[in-house]
Amino acid sequence: MVRRAIGTRRRCQLNAPPVSDVTAALAERVRHAHVTGTALRITGAGHWLDAGRPCRADASLPLAEHTGIVEYEPGDLTMTVRAGTPLDALRAVARGEGQWLPLDPFGHLGGTIGATIATASSGPLSAAFGTPRDHVLGCEFITGTGNVVRAGGRVVKNVAGFDLVRLVTGAWGTLGVLTEVSIRLRALPEIDRTLALETTAGEARRWLRASAYTPLAAEMISARLATDMGIGSRDTLLLRLGGNRALVHAAAESASALAGSRDVDTTVWDTLRTREPADAAVVRLSTSSSQVAALWDRVASIVERAGGHAHATLQRGIVRCMLPVQSDDAEEHARLRGIVGALLTLGSSVVERLPSSLWAKMVPPAASDALSIGVRRAFDPGHVLNPGILGELA
Amino acid sequence: MPTDVAQHAAPDLASRLAALVGERRVLARPSELRSYESDGLPGYHARPALAVFPGTRDETIAVVRLLAELDAPFVARGAGTGLSGGALAEGSVLLGLHRLTRILSIDADDARAVVEPGVVNATLSRAAAAFGLHYAPDPSSQTACTIGGNVAENAGGPHCLKYGVTLNHVLAITVLLPSGEVVTLGSADGERDGYDLLGAFIGSEGCFGVALDVTVRLARAPQAVRTLLADFSSVNSAAHAVSSIIASGIIPAAMEMMDGPTIQAVEASIYAAGYPVDAAAILLIELDGAAAGIDDDAARVDAFCRDAGARGVRIAAAPAERARLWQGRKKAFGAMGRIAPNLVVQDAVVPRTKLPAILAEIQRIAELHRVLVCNVFHAGDGNLHPNIGYDATSADETERVHRAMAAIMQACIDAGGTITGEHGIGLDKLPYMDALFTPATLGAMCALREVFDPGRRSNPGKVVPVHSCREWFAAPSARAGGAS
Repeated sequence: MVRRAIGTRRRCQLNAPPVSDVTAALAERVRHAHVTGTALRITGAGHWLDAGRPCRADASLPLAEHTGIVEYEPGDLTMTVRAGTPLDALRAVARGEGQWLPLDPFGHLGGTIGATIATASSGPLSAAFGTPRDHVLGCEFITGTGNVVRAGGRVVKNVAGFDLVRLVTGAWGTLGVLTEVSIRLRALPEIDRTLALETTAGEARRWLRASAYTPLAAEMISARLATDMGIGSRDTLLLRLGGNRALVHAAAESASALAGSRDVDTTVWDTLRTREPADAAVVRLSTSSSQVAALWDRVASIVERAGGHAHATLQRGIVRCMLPVQSDDAEEHARLRGIVGALLTLGSSVVERLPSSLWAKMVPPAASDALSIGVRRAFDPGHVLNPGILGELA
Repeated sequence: MPTDVAQHAAPDLASRLAALVGERRVLARPSELRSYESDGLPGYHARPALAVFPGTRDETIAVVRLLAELDAPFVARGAGTGLSGGALAEGSVLLGLHRLTRILSIDADDARAVVEPGVVNATLSRAAAAFGLHYAPDPSSQTACTIGGNVAENAGGPHCLKYGVTLNHVLAITVLLPSGEVVTLGSADGERDGYDLLGAFIGSEGCFGVALDVTVRLARAPQAVRTLLADFSSVNSAAHAVSSIIASGIIPAAMEMMDGPTIQAVEASIYAAGYPVDAAAILLIELDGAAAGIDDDAARVDAFCRDAGARGVRIAAAPAERARLWQGRKKAFGAMGRIAPNLVVQDAVVPRTKLPAILAEIQRIAELHRVLVCNVFHAGDGNLHPNIGYDATSADETERVHRAMAAIMQACIDAGGTITGEHGIGLDKLPYMDALFTPATLGAMCALREVFDPGRRSNPGKVVPVHSCREWFAAPSARAGGAS
C-alpha cells in the first residue's frame, strides 16, 4: 500500500506564496480579538453592511483599503483580487481585455468583491452564469482564531481537498474574513443586446422553456418598477441576449413573436441594480421554475399595492420584492410586519434587508442546524466574526 | 490502520450485518473479497475486513447505524471506477451502494431528477432522453460510474467545459451522516439562507457521509451540434489553438486534445475513430446550442485552428460520425491497454496559458525517466490526463513511472495549477497535499471533516494527510475559545 512521497515538501509552493503583510496584520487583529473575546464586524465598502441583521460588534474590521489586483492573466480568464476591491473597478479592468465577471448583485455598483462572495449576492445574470459559488475558484480567509487559510486555487477545475471555498461563500464572514479571492472571468459576448417586452410572467416562462436560446438574463419587472426605469408602464420582461450576430438576431426575432419588443440600452441593467433605496426592506422568495409565474402573480400585486416593486429571475424561480420603509416608527414597522409576514408564507424565502427591530421577530436563524453550528464552532469558536449576523445565538 | 479493525469492533459483525441485509449480501471470506481489493487505480490492493451490499435506503441506514454503534470504519463504494484509490477499504467495512439503482423521479417541467446513489450516470441520461433532457456531467466512465460516486468525487467530463462539473448540477442531497443521522443538504424548491453545506459535501470523497438520494438538474438537448476534428503536426500548435478559441469568447461544449501516442493506440484498437495516425495532436471540439449562428462559430473555430497551424479541420455532419469521433476519445484509456499491461491515468490542472509549456515539460520528464506518456485530456479547462503505460511486474519500470508522476505533479503545482481536476485525492494524491496547501489550510479541511464525521470513520485515511490533522488538533489556537 505504500507509495513514496518524492521530495515534494522541499520544493517551492507556488500556490501558497507567503501571506501578504496586510493579511498578516488582519490575522493578528483577529487572533487578538479571539483571545480577548472582542466581537468584530467585518466591513467592506460599507454599502450593504449587515442589511439590518442583528450583528453585535465591539469593533470593526475594515477591508475597504485592502484593494487591488494580485494577478490577472487574461488568457486564462482568471483574476485574483484583494477582497476590498470594488466590483466597478474590477469591471473596468476586465473590460479593457474584452472580459467581464458576470456577477451583478443589487445595491451599489461599487460594492466589494469580498462582500459579494461573503453574502453570495447575485443578480439577473445568475440566470445564465450562476451565483458566486459558480465563479469563485479559490480564496484566502482568516478563521476566527486568526489562522490564514488558502483554499481552492487559481485554475478553473479543481477537486483537491475538501471544498472550503464553497463553505465560506455566502457565510457572511462568520467562518472567516475573506482577504483575497480568485475568480473566473468570461469573454464579453460579441453582441450584447437587451429587449423590453410587455408580457406576463407565465408567457415569458413558457417562451424561455420552449426556446432554443439561452438568454444572458431574463428578468420580469413589475409595472411600477418598469415605469420608474422608463421602460414601460406594465409588467415587462427584460431580455438580455448575447452571442454572435446571427444568434442574437434569431433569438430577438423569436422573442418578438411573444410580444411587441423594443431595444433598450444595456445600461438599463445598472439602473435596475441601483433602483432601490438603501433602507428598503427586501425579501427574496423562490420556488421551482415551473411555479415561478404563479408566485409572481400572487406576489407582484401585493408588493405594488404596498408601494413597492418586484422583479423576478424566472429561470431560477426567484421573485425579489422591495418595500420602501417610510419611517422608523412603530406604525410603519407594524405595516411592514404585516406585508413581509404575508410574503414569507408564499415561498421559500431569504430576507435580504429589514429594519433591525423587525429582524429578530420575523426571521428564523439561518444556521441553526447541528452541522452549521458545528462548522461555526470549528472555524470561529469564540464567535468573534460578525456574531449574530445569521440570526444565530452566540 | 490495523487490518482487522472492523472485525475487532465486533467479532460477530458479519452475522449482525447479514441479519440486516441478508446472508448473500455480506462477504467476509478473503476469496470473496478479492474483487473489492482495488478500484480504478492500478497498483494498489487493500482488503476490506468485509463487504456489505444493502438493497434499499432503509437497509443502508440500518447498516450505517450499526457501524456507528460499533464504532467501525467504513468506505462507501459505487461502481469502483474511481482513479485515485478513494474506494479502497483496507481493514474497513466496504459499503457497496450499487444496488440502490432507482430513479425516484424525473420532472420534465423543472428539468430535474431524483436518483438513488447507485444509478449509473449514462442510465440517468438515457432515462431523461425521453423528455429531451440529459445529465450533463459525462466522465469517460459514464457507462459504469454511479451518481453517488460522481457526487463523492465532484466528477467532471469533456462537456464540463461549457456545462460545469457535478457541483453545478446538484440541487440537494439527502445525506446519511456517519453517525446514522439523516439530513438534507441544499434545497430543490427555492433558495435558503445559511452555509453551503451541499457545496462542502460534493467532492468530499466519502469522508462526510453517504448520499441516500441526489436531486440533479437536467440539461435540455441542444438544438444543433457541430463536432470538429482538427489535425496538428505539433502539440504546441494545438495548445495555441485552444488558447485562441478560449480567448475569443466562444465556449465550446467540449474541447479535447489527444496526442500522437494516444491517437495511434486508439486507431490500432476496436475503437478506431478515423483519427489521422500521423498527427502529433488532434483537437476534438464540439459546439452546441441554437442552430442560428452555430456555423459562424464553427467557421471561427476552424480559422483559429488553421491560424495556429492545423493541417486540416473536418466537421462531422452526421450523428453517427460524431458518435464515432467521441467513442475514440472516451475509450482511449481502454485502447491504451494494447500498449502496456498496466496504466496510470493521471489528472492535474494548469492555467490554460501554461498548456504549451507544461506539455513540453511533461515530454522532458518522460524522456528523463524513460517512460511513455500518452496525453488525452480536457484542453479547454487546462485539465491534463498524462497517462503512463507500464509493466507492473518490473520493479525498475514501476519505480521510474512513480518518479515521473511525482515530477509531473510538481511541475503542475509549479505552473500555478493543481494536482487533481476531477479524479480526487483519495490515497494516490495524498503525498502531494503538503506541496499544494499550507498546514493551516489542511487543518481547516480536517476541522470541517470532523464536523461531519467526528469519529473519522467514513473513508478513513483519505484526502487529507493524517499528520496534518494531528498537528491541527494539537494546536492550542484551534481548540481555544469555545465560548459558544
